[in-house]
Amino acid sequence: MDKLARQLHDDAQRIDVSVSDELDRRIEASLRAVTPEFEDSRPASVARPALFWWASTLTGVAAAVALIAIANWRAPAQPVPAPVNIVAAIPAIELKAETAMLTGPLQQELDRLESDLRKAEARVKRDIGL
Amino acid sequence: MSDELKLIAAAKAGSADAFADLVREHRVRLLRFLLTRSSSYADAEDILQDTLIAAFRHLHSYDPRWRFSTWLYRIAIRNAARLRRPDLVEIGDLRDEENDPLQQCIADSETDNLWVNARQLLNDDVFAAMWLRYAEDMSVNDISKALDRSASWTKVNLMRGRRVLETHLNGAAQRSEAYG
Repeated sequence: MDKLARQLHDDAQRIDVSVSDELDRRIEASLRAVTPEFEDSRPASVARPALFWWASTLTGVAAAVALIAIANWRAPAQPVPAPVNIVAAIPAIELKAETAMLTGPLQQELDRLESDLRKAEARVKRDIGL
Repeated sequence: MSDELKLIAAAKAGSADAFADLVREHRVRLLRFLLTRSSSYADAEDILQDTLIAAFRHLHSYDPRWRFSTWLYRIAIRNAARLRRPDLVEIGDLRDEENDPLQQCIADSETDNLWVNARQLLNDDVFAAMWLRYAEDMSVNDISKALDRSASWTKVNLMRGRRVLETHLNGAAQRSEAYG
């Protein structure tokens, strides 16, 4: 032990401390009032063999199959709806139309736009005095 | 089986008497240590009482691979830290010179007790490591366990603590020579 260690050790011993009778009684009374906690007494979980896993899996599968079978067996027969002729239900669309009938509205709209454009052009020329 | 292990077994079974016998030899040393971390003698006594109660209550968690004293110190250090006012950084802030319980327990003729200086120069953890090493003769591993620090931290800070105290001692010696 070197000089510093020796001095530290000795100086610690020179710190004059004692446990008084009053503190001693307090501590003992406190200890008697305390109930120590005990270790968990439940047995530790033990790893189960693989056989248990297979047995529980098969039991689960068998139970599921049985449940499905019982549910299907008890279900009342559902009335089968009569087939509906969808083609007959949809109104026939007249596909025979002239091209002019289909493009007529577009042509009219185009004419109106061109007319508006000409009017606007004339208004601009008048405003700037050409 | 040693006497200590027999007492531990009896205390684990619920015997308060066995536990009292078990900790009897540790009480004074614990109180001396707690005095360095408390603002008053009464506080140190209270922390000691709380420490022993907690130890008895949780004795089932004691691992026999530890020294029993190491385990007790660990509980004491935690209790002392828990009871410290949160707005104070270091334990030295708690005391003034006149009411310092450590000073009061040192005889007037020994005013140069190095632990008084150590507490002013070292932070709490380094002080505790130094105390456990040099006042309690604990091994580095036991100190690491008691402080919940790594062995590397403990070694480094023991070395730093020593260096600080040696520097202080050398400075004090030079001042003493200078003033004749």
